[in-house]
Amino acid sequence: MTRLVEVPAQFDDRSFDQFASAFAAATKDGERLLFDAHAAEWASPYGLVGLLAAGQAARGAGAGSAGSAERPLLTAPTQADVLTYWTRAGFFREGAELFEIHGKVPRLRSAEESDVLLPVTPVRAAEDVHAVVSNIQQRASAILASELGLDPKATMGFAMALSEACQNIVEHAGTGGWVAVQAYHWRRKLAKRVVVIAVADAGVGFRHSLEPTQSKRFGTRWGDAAALEAALIQGVSRFRDPGRGQGLAGIRRYLARWDGKIAIRSGTARIAIVPQWDDDVPLKEGLPAFPGAQVLIIIPEQGSTKR
Amino acid sequence: MIQHIDVHAVLQESVSGIYTDLVTRPTGRVVRECIERAMATATETVAVARIDFTRVGCIDYSCADEIVAKLLRSRPSVLVLMGISDGHREAIEPVLAGHRLAVLIERPDGTLEAVGAPDAAAALLDELVARRLAVRTPGGTLALTLA
Repeated sequence: MTRLVEVPAQFDDRSFDQFASAFAAATKDGERLLFDAHAAEWASPYGLVGLLAAGQAARGAGAGSAGSAERPLLTAPTQADVLTYWTRAGFFREGAELFEIHGKVPRLRSAEESDVLLPVTPVRAAEDVHAVVSNIQQRASAILASELGLDPKATMGFAMALSEACQNIVEHAGTGGWVAVQAYHWRRKLAKRVVVIAVADAGVGFRHSLEPTQSKRFGTRWGDAAALEAALIQGVSRFRDPGRGQGLAGIRRYLARWDGKIAIRSGTARIAIVPQWDDDVPLKEGLPAFPGAQVLIIIPEQGSTKR
Repeated sequence: MIQHIDVHAVLQESVSGIYTDLVTRPTGRVVRECIERAMATATETVAVARIDFTRVGCIDYSCADEIVAKLLRSRPSVLVLMGISDGHREAIEPVLAGHRLAVLIERPDGTLEAVGAPDAAAALLDELVARRLAVRTPGGTLALTLA
């Protein structure tokens, strides 16, 4: 039997919990999964890398009651422009390994010149982080300075933040993941241009990564939310080296300077540093379980971002 | 003597001939170990190690910690960083402040500046003068006495 996981028509960080809920319900009995994206109208970079993480988790679980390593199924979007965007964003290049894809996928190269600053890119090792940082700098520089009004010097900070976000996968996930960077017009709250970094993996997640060093300190409070709080707010790391934990702290400093936002979802919790222009909540618990960690970073166009 | 270490060259030789960015902990570790080996095998007594970041692109926080903070902790000689851009400083300063450490940066005009934790920075400048490794210039800044 195949279990259906519906991909939300508008697939982004807000609808991700709906997707995670469907995923959690469908994976209960180990049957093969069908991710249904035929009605998808729009997907953010967060949605795309999150869908890949779901495919990774479904495949890793050896979907199928007989324990076979059958790939999960994916029905591609039917709208031509949506399909073209997913292709340009590099989704199908990565998805082809994870999913048995049904639907006509156009033969396009991922974006060279567009708002897709970095197409969906796998991150498995330190070498991948080097490639990501090297690729992003030239393209991001023009967007950050001309479209977002950031000081040209901010480009290096952007590359640093991107590097640290990717390194979380390499150092903590225990598996590979994906990153994507895109500039777009963010209508939800700002009606301004933003640059979005989305990183996702289906690895062990923050709670598991930090449990050996942090669970005793938190006692009965220990869980996904406490682990996220420890990592993002307190800057703790699973490593005892006193220099560890710099990455997320550095990202926070960069975002504070440019009025940006970070949100991290792991397991059943989600934590966010919320700027004034957004109405997200700082911490959510009791969310539908989803493997690994998913990071969202938003840097807005500068000037009058205060609501 | 002053030992000069070209970080870009170390990166290219030890990690990647393609990339110019100092990112990721494994990269930082390899580069630091190469620098430590170069310091350990110097034929003369090294009073000052001038670590040159010219032509290095981005430095992330992990590499700033793995290279600069850890070299300072092992303290084989006085470290002076040169070729430091504003972007490099953005990574190095908060990392050192978090460790309550400070390092010297040599500006293009040869004057020195201590960055990091304020107490450690002040102590570092005092130590340099006391050891006669640096002198106060007429303009009130510090410069290395050794060439």
